[in-house]
Amino acid sequence: MKKHTLAIHGGYAPDAETGATAPPIYQTISFAYQTAEELSEVFAGTAPGHVYTRITNPTPYALEQRLTKLEGGVGSLVCSSGMAAITCVVAGLLRTGDHVLSTAGIFGGTVSLFKNTFGRFGVETTFVDAADTEELANNLRKNTKLIFVETIGNPRMDVPDIPAIADLAHQAGIPLVVDSTLTTPILIQPKNWGADIVVHSTSKFINGHGNSIGGAIIDTGNFSWSDGPFEDIRELAKKAGQLAFLAQLRNLIYRDLGCCPAPFNSFLTLTGLETLPGRMDRHCANAQQLAEFLQKHPKVCWVNYPGLPSSPFYARAQKLFDGRGGGLLTFGLGNRNAAFGFINATKLAQNMTNLGDAKTLVLHPASTIFHEFGLDEQKSMGVSEDMVRVSVGIEDFDDIRDDFAQALAQT
Amino acid sequence: MKLSINGKEVETNGSQTVTELLKEQKVKWPDMVSVELNGTILKRETFASTKLTEGDKVEFLYFMGGGCVTN
Repeated sequence: MKKHTLAIHGGYAPDAETGATAPPIYQTISFAYQTAEELSEVFAGTAPGHVYTRITNPTPYALEQRLTKLEGGVGSLVCSSGMAAITCVVAGLLRTGDHVLSTAGIFGGTVSLFKNTFGRFGVETTFVDAADTEELANNLRKNTKLIFVETIGNPRMDVPDIPAIADLAHQAGIPLVVDSTLTTPILIQPKNWGADIVVHSTSKFINGHGNSIGGAIIDTGNFSWSDGPFEDIRELAKKAGQLAFLAQLRNLIYRDLGCCPAPFNSFLTLTGLETLPGRMDRHCANAQQLAEFLQKHPKVCWVNYPGLPSSPFYARAQKLFDGRGGGLLTFGLGNRNAAFGFINATKLAQNMTNLGDAKTLVLHPASTIFHEFGLDEQKSMGVSEDMVRVSVGIEDFDDIRDDFAQALAQT
Repeated sequence: MKLSINGKEVETNGSQTVTELLKEQKVKWPDMVSVELNGTILKRETFASTKLTEGDKVEFLYFMGGGCVTN
């Protein structure tokens, strides 16, 4: 099956007992068993069954199966948020004294997670310009246990050379973790470019309607857990084979940290996912048109969108993302006051800290999601005082353009 | 044919491959099971092509109970 079909039918068939075509919401904590023996077999791993929603539940499981199919992976784990997904991956692979190599222009929340939260536990992260694969190689250490990149850096809008970085990781014997939130499996299957683990904030384009926080981890099957530098997972691979990493998370890290999603959120995410391919087509088409409109506007100082030929990442984005540039762009208006004035003047676009919604959203990153970082750090992350970030929605483009035109006229 | 599944002798109902056996055994959650055949963990992409023969020892290991399998 292809992506449009998988997004609707993948991983869930009408319920055998009731014929329900929408995945039922199993709003329960626990699952009862007739005998003590049956439940003990499930705990021992010798019989299948759901026992407790913090570990598995049929509704999140339906979402996991669909995402596995869309990413071409061996299995998935859905989480309460994108941050929970990254937390699980890092906590599942690293120990105190280990090192993360990450690209620099990534989501501020992820930077904080690596630098501040995992830093407290003795895990150090080095952030390197995503455009400079050689510099990434120069910053590999003996204790580096994973490389982390975003398919499109948010908000830097840079596109790392994923296949080259995958080669780098594999030469070092470590996995490449790719955050594909901005691209979704519709624009890229990172597995095909060498990625080992894919993470998503499903709260964004995958949900698409701004109504459910969620995250996902997909094991692409590219990494051989039997051979990696992770002793406990190597041991587990003797029993779990390709599922060793996900088993390590499900039965230890994810279970212990309590990263499970609410079944209702998984249901809403599954509903959103059905229309993801069509929405991504429109997000990308509208973003492309808006980027071209802004580029020609006299009040706009600069536009950063990987779908524009002026972007240094245009050719790579065309190659990796099937000729599309995604649904997010940034532009500059010269100073903070102008950026604020523009945001205050928009009528259709909404000012909020989210992206990937069906609605067009605008944000001043420097004073919001990056406010905790100093000016120099913001600069290294690709954030400037005059920057406006736009998550381009799927409204009629003429309405988006008219809203931006009238807001710019007042700026 | 007779197989040993998780240590129990089971008479199968026509399953010729691992994929067919998973369906026959009503394993609803195939993404959460690893399969060991005669002591060897199978790659998932080989489930459909791996033929079963009389007397095979099959171990299904599930990751749904939350028990720490590394213990």
